[in-house]
Amino acid sequence: MTAPLLETRDLIKNYVIGGEMVHAVNGVSLRIDRGEFVAIMGASGSGKSTFMNMIGCLDVPTSGVLKLDGIDTRTLNSDELAEIRNRKIGFVFQQFNLLARTSALDNVAVPLIYAGVGPAERRARAQARLEAMGLGNRLLNTPAKLSGGQQQRVAIARALVTNPLILLADEPTGALDTQTSLDIMGIFQKLNDEGITLVVVTHEPDIAEYAARRIVFRDGKVIEDEAVTSRRRAVSS
Amino acid sequence: MTELLNKLAAWGVNVAIAFTALRTNLMRSILTTLGVMIGVFSVILAVAVGNGAQVSVTQQIATLGSNMAIVLPEPERANGPPRPGDRGRLTERDGEAIARQVPGVVAVAPQIRTSVQLVTGGRSASTQAIGSTESFASISNLGTADGRFLTRSDIGSAARVVVIGQTVADKLFIDVNPIGEKVRINRVPFTVIGLLESKGSNLGNDNDDQIIVPITTLRQRLSTTTAQGPDDVTLLFVGFEDEDTLVAGDREIKNLLRARYRVSKGKITPFTVRTTKEIAETSGEVTQIFQAVLVAIASISLLVGGIGIMNIMLVSVTERTREIGLRMALGAKRSDIRNQFLVEAAVLCIIGGGIGLLLAMVAAAIFQQVADFPAPIGLDTALLAIAFSGIIGLVFGGYPAIRASRLSPIEALRSE
Repeated sequence: MTAPLLETRDLIKNYVIGGEMVHAVNGVSLRIDRGEFVAIMGASGSGKSTFMNMIGCLDVPTSGVLKLDGIDTRTLNSDELAEIRNRKIGFVFQQFNLLARTSALDNVAVPLIYAGVGPAERRARAQARLEAMGLGNRLLNTPAKLSGGQQQRVAIARALVTNPLILLADEPTGALDTQTSLDIMGIFQKLNDEGITLVVVTHEPDIAEYAARRIVFRDGKVIEDEAVTSRRRAVSS
Repeated sequence: MTELLNKLAAWGVNVAIAFTALRTNLMRSILTTLGVMIGVFSVILAVAVGNGAQVSVTQQIATLGSNMAIVLPEPERANGPPRPGDRGRLTERDGEAIARQVPGVVAVAPQIRTSVQLVTGGRSASTQAIGSTESFASISNLGTADGRFLTRSDIGSAARVVVIGQTVADKLFIDVNPIGEKVRINRVPFTVIGLLESKGSNLGNDNDDQIIVPITTLRQRLSTTTAQGPDDVTLLFVGFEDEDTLVAGDREIKNLLRARYRVSKGKITPFTVRTTKEIAETSGEVTQIFQAVLVAIASISLLVGGIGIMNIMLVSVTERTREIGLRMALGAKRSDIRNQFLVEAAVLCIIGGGIGLLLAMVAAAIFQQVADFPAPIGLDTALLAIAFSGIIGLVFGGYPAIRASRLSPIEALRSE
């Protein structure tokens, strides 16, 4: 029996904003296993993004247990957290967050720089990822020359380039039109079929239906955690 | 080994990132670089001019001759130049006494100096005539490029012969070998017997603009304005065996002259003795202070340039907070972010320093041509300048870089 990929117990994150304590995440205990496709839902301010940032090792919990791949991340220093983000986690953001004036190829290669991979291998691996995303003919385009959907696919290629254990996507379709959103969800389903674990934060119920499990946050707590009954399949373009 | 290569490659990546960032804000980068450029330019030029002054002084002292003392008939003054009333007497016999009685003296050359007009074949030149003896050449390292120097018999017979400096020769004789030519000095006919070796010029003072005639001839034939008595001299050149006797000779000469002129105890010595060693030392000190002051002033502009770097790097960090957050999310460690901004600052500074160095070299060359003043920029100065600009980048880029590296990934990512 392998350890769960992600495990939290009584996870709490408090902020002090304007002298007032905000309980952003207020005691969340759950586990996510390898190969799952989880959608995290909730209104803004429900704590879903804060939770996501903590499991992505971008933010540190106030208290509780957070284990990623069996590692208690609360004991790690900033360099070790950077390494976890680099090796074990792939991020996809709402605003794509690609480096401007930098080619798709170089954007995808950025995580490999911090993984200490040499230039030739960086290039080869980044190119392979982009080709797998159907962007083989866009390698040298800068983000300004790519559509929103293409940019998000570059971002997914970048998230996957270090072969992470888990892909974390924060509102990945929030800046895209409906058809492109479907394309992206199709890519996610395909990746999940290939065995990649995904956690997608969204506030759109129909986007959540492409996932296999739905977790709903409200006021910093999980109020719903169940399998998606009428799961949608998107045909990846 | 591969780890080292990877590290080098990581720095290479930082340089590439730096160039992309600097290109993005090209105008800003150029203006920032300008500050460092001007700073490095002025520091290097200051160093070069200071070196030039030192070279110049060393040359000048070398032209005086080594282990030599100059005796002047005027009291030493702590502050300022001698006053007209200061001037006392000094005679050839004093020189003979010094040669006899002061230990270590090899030779004494008396000198009378006066301004003269030379005319030959329709050309004329004004210059300074030095009346002296055959010893003058050996004491003050004077050689002849052509012909010969004065001899003992020239002095004895008050021969109308002259040894001319290079500048004088250039003015009077074109396409003609001056040796054996006749010239009229203050209307008195002389024969040119020698051409002095060129000693160049330093600090605008042309060492070749002079002629040398026998002291006896100068007294008899050329009117002198300085001499009061029949064997008065303007000054004495005293050559010593070695540095030790030269150092002791300073006092010895003063004591001897005090005795000869019966200067009572407690009264000021009416003579000045300057040794080449003293001159070298004081000139060395003066040029060092000169150089230090120049470099200090120039350093202020470099400091201002450095502050400009820090300012623009802080702006850059603020503008790129989101990029920093993204890089951290993708796995950049704090040190990676710090190094990225350090390299960016260093690249700015090294480019500025490099251009500043080139401009300084051009300026030094122009200076050398126009002002006839050496301003050497050695390889050491050049390398130092580049290294120094890099250090400026690291120092002034350090604070912004560390600030960038301390950002929290999530706050950086959230910033607009």
